[in-house]
Amino acid sequence: MEPDVSIETSCMIRIAVLPIGDVPSTLLRDYHSMLLRHCTIPLSTISSFYTEHQKSPFAHQPWETGSLRFKFVLGGAPPSPWEDFQPHRKILGVIGICHCPSSPDLDLVIDQFNAAWRGYSSVLVQRCFAFSPGDSQLEDTKKRENLVLFPPSDRSAQELHLQTMMQDISASLLMEFEKWVLQAESAGTILKTPLDSQATLSSEEVIKAKKRRLARAQKTIGDYCLLAGSPVDANAHYSTALELARLTADYFWYAGALEGSVCALLVDRMGQKDIAIEDEVRYRYNSVIVHYRKSFIQENAQRVSPLTFELEATLKLARFLCRRELAKEVAELLTSAADGAKSLIDASDKLILFVEIARLFGTLGYQRKAAFFSRQVAQLYLQQENRFAAISAMQVLAMTTKAYRVQSRTSISKQSLSDETETGHVDSGKMHHQSVVSLFESQWSTLQMVVLREILLSAVRAGDPLAAWSAAARLLRSYYPLITPAGQNGLARALTNSAERLPSGTRCADPALPFIRLYSFPLHPSQMDIVKRNPAREDWWAGSAPSGPFIYTPFSKGESNDNSKQELIWIVGEPVQVFVELANPCGFDLSVDSIYLSVQSGNFDAFPLSVDLPPNSSQVITLSGIPTSIGPVVIRGCTVHCFGVITEHRFKDVDNLLLGAAQGLVLSDPFRCCGSPRLRSVSVPSISVIPPLPLLVSHVVGGDGAIILYEGEIRDVWINLANAGTVPIEQVHISLSGKNQDSVISIAYENLKSALPLKPGAEVTIPVTLKGWRLFLGESDTAAGKNAFGSMGRTLKDGSSPSLLIHYAGPLGDAQDIETNKSSVPPGRRLIVPLQICVLQGLSFVKARLLSMEIPAHVGESPSSLANMDSKPFGEAVGYSKIDRLVKIDPFRGSWGLRFLELELSNPTGVVFDISVSVQLEKSGNEDNLSVDCAAEYGYPKTRIDRDHFARVLIPLEHFKLPFLDGSIFSKDLQSDGSTAGRNSNFSERNTKAELNASIKNLISRIKVQWQSGRNCSGELNCKDAIQAALQSSVMDVLLPDPLTFGFRLARNGSENAAKLDLPKESDTSIQHIASKNSVIAHDMTPFEVLVRNNTKETIKMNLSVTCRDVAGANSIEGAKATVIWAGVLSGITMEVPPLEETKHGFSLYFLVPGEYTLVAAAVIDDANDVLRARAKSESSDEPIFCRGPPFHVHVNGTA
Amino acid sequence: MQREDAAQLHQFVLHAALDIVQDLAWTTSAMFLKAIDRFNDLVVSVYVTAGHTRFMLLHDSRNEDGIKSFFQEVHELYIKILLNPLYLPGSRITSSHFDTKVRALARKYL
Repeated sequence: MEPDVSIETSCMIRIAVLPIGDVPSTLLRDYHSMLLRHCTIPLSTISSFYTEHQKSPFAHQPWETGSLRFKFVLGGAPPSPWEDFQPHRKILGVIGICHCPSSPDLDLVIDQFNAAWRGYSSVLVQRCFAFSPGDSQLEDTKKRENLVLFPPSDRSAQELHLQTMMQDISASLLMEFEKWVLQAESAGTILKTPLDSQATLSSEEVIKAKKRRLARAQKTIGDYCLLAGSPVDANAHYSTALELARLTADYFWYAGALEGSVCALLVDRMGQKDIAIEDEVRYRYNSVIVHYRKSFIQENAQRVSPLTFELEATLKLARFLCRRELAKEVAELLTSAADGAKSLIDASDKLILFVEIARLFGTLGYQRKAAFFSRQVAQLYLQQENRFAAISAMQVLAMTTKAYRVQSRTSISKQSLSDETETGHVDSGKMHHQSVVSLFESQWSTLQMVVLREILLSAVRAGDPLAAWSAAARLLRSYYPLITPAGQNGLARALTNSAERLPSGTRCADPALPFIRLYSFPLHPSQMDIVKRNPAREDWWAGSAPSGPFIYTPFSKGESNDNSKQELIWIVGEPVQVFVELANPCGFDLSVDSIYLSVQSGNFDAFPLSVDLPPNSSQVITLSGIPTSIGPVVIRGCTVHCFGVITEHRFKDVDNLLLGAAQGLVLSDPFRCCGSPRLRSVSVPSISVIPPLPLLVSHVVGGDGAIILYEGEIRDVWINLANAGTVPIEQVHISLSGKNQDSVISIAYENLKSALPLKPGAEVTIPVTLKGWRLFLGESDTAAGKNAFGSMGRTLKDGSSPSLLIHYAGPLGDAQDIETNKSSVPPGRRLIVPLQICVLQGLSFVKARLLSMEIPAHVGESPSSLANMDSKPFGEAVGYSKIDRLVKIDPFRGSWGLRFLELELSNPTGVVFDISVSVQLEKSGNEDNLSVDCAAEYGYPKTRIDRDHFARVLIPLEHFKLPFLDGSIFSKDLQSDGSTAGRNSNFSERNTKAELNASIKNLISRIKVQWQSGRNCSGELNCKDAIQAALQSSVMDVLLPDPLTFGFRLARNGSENAAKLDLPKESDTSIQHIASKNSVIAHDMTPFEVLVRNNTKETIKMNLSVTCRDVAGANSIEGAKATVIWAGVLSGITMEVPPLEETKHGFSLYFLVPGEYTLVAAAVIDDANDVLRARAKSESSDEPIFCRGPPFHVHVNGTA
Repeated sequence: MQREDAAQLHQFVLHAALDIVQDLAWTTSAMFLKAIDRFNDLVVSVYVTAGHTRFMLLHDSRNEDGIKSFFQEVHELYIKILLNPLYLPGSRITSSHFDTKVRALARKYL
């Protein structure tokens, strides 16, 4: 069988094109292609070369319209045994091609050429074309037969020259045909085919052969007429031949003549293809096929068979009919032709048959059929077990890959770019599931694997390592779930083996392993955030946060969710990172020699990384790089150097694969089978690179670890800021964010300001004062239960620490730039310095109680001031008391109704705390913020609380009393009392409460409980709420003074005792001692003074009385057993005390019995006003207001 | 090895026959397209549903009636599969029930 047969093949003159001497193959192809342009030489152009020697047998030659056709066979062909049957199989001419520069000796060329063409017995015309001869060869004027030198010139001139030569050859051939036909007509030649019996003919057969001879001769003449371009003549001869052959039952030749006649018909009707002709051709060819089949002779079947002719005729008809509309008919023809393959003896015949069937199916548009037969061809090639066959097999299989959808990426990219853009569009949009289905024809995975395996096999045999690598890569990547671990190992070995034969650095379009998908595109770390700068505003960063009246808008929400619209800004020269996930779903260790981001835009330096992936594992790795120039960055995937070849792995492919896997259309999700979590769709954002910006880097001086604070601890932290960028920082602003912002007490913002502009490399340190916030109750409970580390972890995890937000920016661009283009302002940045504060539970407050203590005063001569108890509390008192006293009490005033706040504290921590309490006094002006508690100021040891201990701290509350009793506090209260219940009263009540609360708050805020632990750990205890709760009930008593204050003193002036008593400050005093000094002697008239102070703003009239009691509490003045004799008035003293003044009343006592006595003053206030009533909490207005002073002790010395 | 090759060949033949089905399906209103393709002694019979789902049977026998009944019954089974809301049309049918039923039908008719 012959390849590429068609009905017109019968009218083609076959010419062998042989290279003579050494012709480079590219040049040979080039010359051959030049010849191919002259496949058809019109008869009209050859008339000048044609000379009619005798009467032409081609009477009806169409000199105007006809033409000669040629078929150039490069390299020639072996003679066919069927040459007599079909003269178009004969090599009728030989054209030698000689490339002069490589074969300088023309004589040698001629010799070689002669030797070459003499090998073909049927040659009628021979020429040797010598291209690009040298000067010496041109000058060599020796006439050589058949040698044509093509003078060196440009291509068009050469082509013209060649055309002329071809016309000359055509004319020569035509003349030879005429000669042959004339000879054949006259002499009569014996024409035999291999079909005819080779044995000596029996007499019967000789007669039969004689009969047949004429028909065969006529048929052959017809063939020559056809070759000579005269279809009408040919048809005439064929008609005769058909008649004769039918008569002699020579079916084979009959079919041959019929075939010729169809060809003649087509040549005659060249160009006009109507249905009538088509039907005629179809009818006659069916007949041809039938007759070829009839000529099958059983006895010859082993040796030779007309089957090839039958198949060729089928193919010819199929090719003739090969149109979309007739697909069914053609397919049937081809199917029946394929059936014939079984009976073909010669393997190469089978090969040709399948090639032709595949080609015809391909032209028909039946790609899958074509692929099927191509694969059959490849299998036949592979059976041949040699390298060239393997190469052919590989090439044929490569053609089938499209139909089986296992193409190599290279062929795809060659085929169509439009396809790619189309799929890209599909990716971005929503995919209809049908189109998804069509993307993955996983149903045919077996076929795909078989094809790829065959490609691998043939590539290995053909010695094409790259193709083998590519096939193995595709096989492994796409079908690993269907391949056993052993098979996977084999493929891995095949990849490695192929790579060994490839030069290093070879690239392949088809990626192998691992699977790579985008894991995440980290936005800028908070350290390097980029903030759009609004040059018009002072706070240029403000616009960067989403603004607007709505916290949530559905529109902005949708946008932020859409990853594809995400934008990312990278900065020239600053390293960036991209996380990708690699998966190795196969059963072998995968070592990736290097992997780096593949950036199309070329403005990115990617840093390679090498990774080892164990079997069935996935791993997230960080790929980094540096943007090198301004502009967009397009990241398509990763470039991977694995198995010795460099490949590009695109993210999009894996995304498609995962999408298919999610739909259940792909065999397996490589990431999922490696135990990686479910698909997260991450798309590459649009990335743009901008010019360098300043870069601020921070670290906390003394280590970036957590700052551990106890509750309430106050500490300074130094934060070091350095400009790590290449641009100076010109603007800085610090703000706070996050929880517990109030824990940052102060930031030395000025330090930073003064350092501006911060040049690249410069640094500045700013102190920040922190205070440990209060842990919540539940939090502290658990923290107390756990150890310190546990609670630390918890606190950190909660993210309750505040952060410093530092907005900074480099210089603005040119002023003009800003004018023209707002967007050209380089953006600023934001540095977030998270203050990793870990608050540990420190001292904990257990409870607060209000205690009252009553210490009676001693009566002395000291000018004890009854007024202003708060303003100068211990101006005097200090002197009287020992320094180490906790509470210093004026012994002559006593502390009747003194109240203490008792704080119970516990220390659950592992360290020791020292507590000091300070009370800030309200009155300013001098150094009045003395500590009431003497601890801090007066060297009293601080309260120390050991770990896991409790301690109580007492805070005296006496100095909060207001200087005078004012109606203002009660005014509203009174109002409400006076009026009937109504809205006003409600309002006023509330008002009163608010005022009360305010005063409590004021009181509480003045109490500070500070603690210290170790050398540099100190803070303040937050127990305000507890104090408030404790004080709430009795705040009145604490805050408000009594309306009247009473006091007693000795009125002995100028006595010896008084001299001492006047200098109490120098005296070594103790209360006992004072008492002894001021003692009263029995049996002596002792003058006393009672002092009454009015603490209100109104004059108070009262009825004062003084009593004296002995130790037993019995009244020692009155009664039967009175032990004290008195002079002066002791009861019913009517007094009028002006507001805020004191009034004295003198009297004398004579103690009969020494011992302890107590003086008590009491008064009944006349005409008490509402204020007094309220203070006394009297219920009715009629009730007398009774005021009683604190008891004063008098120690009477002497003997009874 | 030989058997494996043959099994693969069967798939290849079926795959190639799709080309013929795609043209033929539009020329007739019948769902059963009979034997539409062959390679050597392997015959491909095809049944095309209204939704252009193709049932292809590769066989070497010539029992057209049996094949037709087989296809019709398989079609019914397939419709039941399609009614499953969790089944994505065009994807692999993994139901073992379907498999056993089809096998039973094959024993019955082929």
